[in-house]
Amino acid sequence: MEVTFGGFQIAVLAAFLFVALSLVAIFAVVARQARRNVEFAEVTDTGYRLRRYWFAFLCVLLGSGVVLSLFFLPYPDNAKSGATVNVSGGLFYWSMSPDTFKAGSDVTFDVTSSDVNHGLGVYDPDGVLVGSVQAMPGYQNQLDLTLDEPGTYMLACLEYCGYKHHEMMREFEVTP
Amino acid sequence: MNEMAAAEVLHPLGEQLSPRSSKPQNLVGWLFGGTGLALFALMALVGLVMRLIQAETIDITSVWFYRLMTLHAAGMLAGALLSMMGGLWFVVRAVVPELNFGRVIASWASIIAGVVLVLVAVLIGGFAAGWTFLYPLPFDSSGQWSTWAAVTFIIGMGLVGVGFLIYCIDVLRATTQTYGGLTGALAIKWLRGKDPTGPPPQVIAATAVSLQGIICSAVGMTIVMALLDHTVDGDVMLDALWAKNLTYFFGHTIANLIIYLAAGMIYVLVPLYAGRQWKLSKPLAIGWLFTICFVMTAYSHHLYMDFVQPGAPQMISLVASSAAALPVAVVTIYTGMMLIWGSRFRWTLTSILLYLGFAGWAIGGAGAVLDSLIPINFKFHNTLWVPAHFHNYLMMGVGLWMMAMVSYLLERAAGRTASRRTTIWAPALMVAGGYGFIFCWYVSGALGIPRRWAVHPIGTEGYSLVASIFVVIFLAGFTMLLIEFASLARTALARRRTATAEVPLQTEAPAHPEPAPGAPEPMLRSPFGIGVTVGLAVIASFVLLPPISDASIATIGFHHLAHGVQFFLAAMLAVALASTPSIARRMTPRWTNFGLAIVVLIPAAMLLFMVPAIYSEIDNDNFLHASYHFGVLLLGFITGLGASMLGRVAGWAVLVSSIGMALMFAAGVTGG
Repeated sequence: MEVTFGGFQIAVLAAFLFVALSLVAIFAVVARQARRNVEFAEVTDTGYRLRRYWFAFLCVLLGSGVVLSLFFLPYPDNAKSGATVNVSGGLFYWSMSPDTFKAGSDVTFDVTSSDVNHGLGVYDPDGVLVGSVQAMPGYQNQLDLTLDEPGTYMLACLEYCGYKHHEMMREFEVTP
Repeated sequence: MNEMAAAEVLHPLGEQLSPRSSKPQNLVGWLFGGTGLALFALMALVGLVMRLIQAETIDITSVWFYRLMTLHAAGMLAGALLSMMGGLWFVVRAVVPELNFGRVIASWASIIAGVVLVLVAVLIGGFAAGWTFLYPLPFDSSGQWSTWAAVTFIIGMGLVGVGFLIYCIDVLRATTQTYGGLTGALAIKWLRGKDPTGPPPQVIAATAVSLQGIICSAVGMTIVMALLDHTVDGDVMLDALWAKNLTYFFGHTIANLIIYLAAGMIYVLVPLYAGRQWKLSKPLAIGWLFTICFVMTAYSHHLYMDFVQPGAPQMISLVASSAAALPVAVVTIYTGMMLIWGSRFRWTLTSILLYLGFAGWAIGGAGAVLDSLIPINFKFHNTLWVPAHFHNYLMMGVGLWMMAMVSYLLERAAGRTASRRTTIWAPALMVAGGYGFIFCWYVSGALGIPRRWAVHPIGTEGYSLVASIFVVIFLAGFTMLLIEFASLARTALARRRTATAEVPLQTEAPAHPEPAPGAPEPMLRSPFGIGVTVGLAVIASFVLLPPISDASIATIGFHHLAHGVQFFLAAMLAVALASTPSIARRMTPRWTNFGLAIVVLIPAAMLLFMVPAIYSEIDNDNFLHASYHFGVLLLGFITGLGASMLGRVAGWAVLVSSIGMALMFAAGVTGG
């Protein structure tokens, strides 16, 4: 299996790096100021005032993340009427039927497991992870995906399941 | 420590903030800190081997990779847990002398016994189902390990949970007894103006963590006992979603609580180098109350990709996982930075490690919050982003604090700081190596490389190779640190030999202004409370009426629910009985160990007792059937009595958790 960066993943990585570097800068500034001799009352006067803004800023930032998430939930939409694909994970294989689709089709993966827990990761022909869902014994998890790009897709196991976990893969085709 | 030594290792004003130490504190500090750090060192080497396997630099089979993966995670968890349990105990004992030395040692022994069983299960039995032992994998090994190995591992992890449970019960008992109950120890009374001084911050942290730890351990014990029931009776089937919920509630919460244990220690150690006290404040007290709520409800983000998980826990987790960052960022880390700012901070090896730990917690927390957003998790779930963020805050946060704790004890005992070379180079190498290693994982996660793969996708081995080089750099810094620790230990021993006569060891820590009461408070304090409890027991006794009893055999779940209600009713009667003045006054502290043993063993025994293979055989014999139910009642009654020996808060916490164990068991054990 080959993997590559997706645009979404790069955006998340960039966001993380921005936050991480900002934090590094803050810690560096505090470390630099640590050797100075400032009255604690002076520090707290400014510190407590700034803390209110810091609290408000974090509430807005974290709250925005939560609210935005609600608009992009990956959970199945019962109104969708795509083809249903039965997928079952087993030690150490994926069975699926059907396994050929037209590009642009909406597909609902109806996923279960015949033995232990597995995780269905779907990689597009470029090797970008486009989504995942768990495969659990006794349960049917439904994953809606639109298969836009023609080519060979790959299913890989994303939940540790035993000594050949990394070999549990299967290809399927999306035709133009 | 004498003042001359203090002036050398601490801020000039730090000595007066230094926790007064006693012999038990020192012993616990050395024992927990030392074993924790030893486990950290061993498991770090195992981690390096795993990365080298993924880099295809060394040729070891994937079978062994997964064994090492299981060992690495379980060992690191136990090591970090031990260290931070010891660190918090050390600082809290200074203000809560009620904390019992024997019980904390019992807790240590249980965790070490658990680690030994894990080692046996993995290295001899070949167990490799991951430290989360997600059902049904431990029993479906594809021929790689036997049932005995699975059972040994599960019991081992159970003992780790038992050790943490013993610790939490004693901490909760002691802090609430010393600081006026749960509302006193969590500073709720202080917030409401009913307590003029309030507890110190480390006591709030200890109380909050121990309360959560009891709940978390009870959940862990339930899944462990259910798995053992499955071993005893192969017909016992567990619901896979239920098992996953319990496993992740236990696993996520216990791992998360390690950081909060550390926070309590930080409240005391950072001021020693800043010369400013970490005081109780409204944001701190309120922050901890919210932390309890958020930590207890965040675990479901591990189940985001289980689309059949009900929507409510998913949404609660979405909010809680982000909101949990607020008390950390706005209260704990922010206050720490204010204490340090302009304080003429005393930079030593210890204080540098403490400071860097804050950064690890903050940066790793950012990675965690991103992954806790469902649309992001959809494309990052179980990729290498996950170990990236938790190594970020565990290795570069808690890991550095584990070292800081031992460094503090050593610098303090030696009366000198570490050498300038080590003070600069050891942290520098560990930061360069640690963040380089973790950054490779963040990038690999964005690439979509799955976690827990022995062999990585084609063309990505280079990331593992670069990461391995960074791990070696980290270990070089860590080795330098260990060599310095040996040097400090030699100085400390020499100093002890020459100065014992001059520096008498303080034998006991000072008590809280209000002397701790000798006997635990009864679980029910008024005749009204006793009446209500008896009333609840009477209502619950309806479960014994033949129509209800007969109906309960319709399904295994209902049958187990009936057992749970029987346990509940007997426990309530025992609590009411033990709260009557004539019995309550006999519940002296000498019964505490007995009560603790009861509440740890009996609820677990009850779940083992609920194997259908045992009771289905006797269903047709009225006498044996009645005896069985009498046995369940007896176990409930004994548990109620045991809880009463622990005082009001700890008693109710363990009793409610025990009843919860029975109810959870009824909800998830579906076969038999």
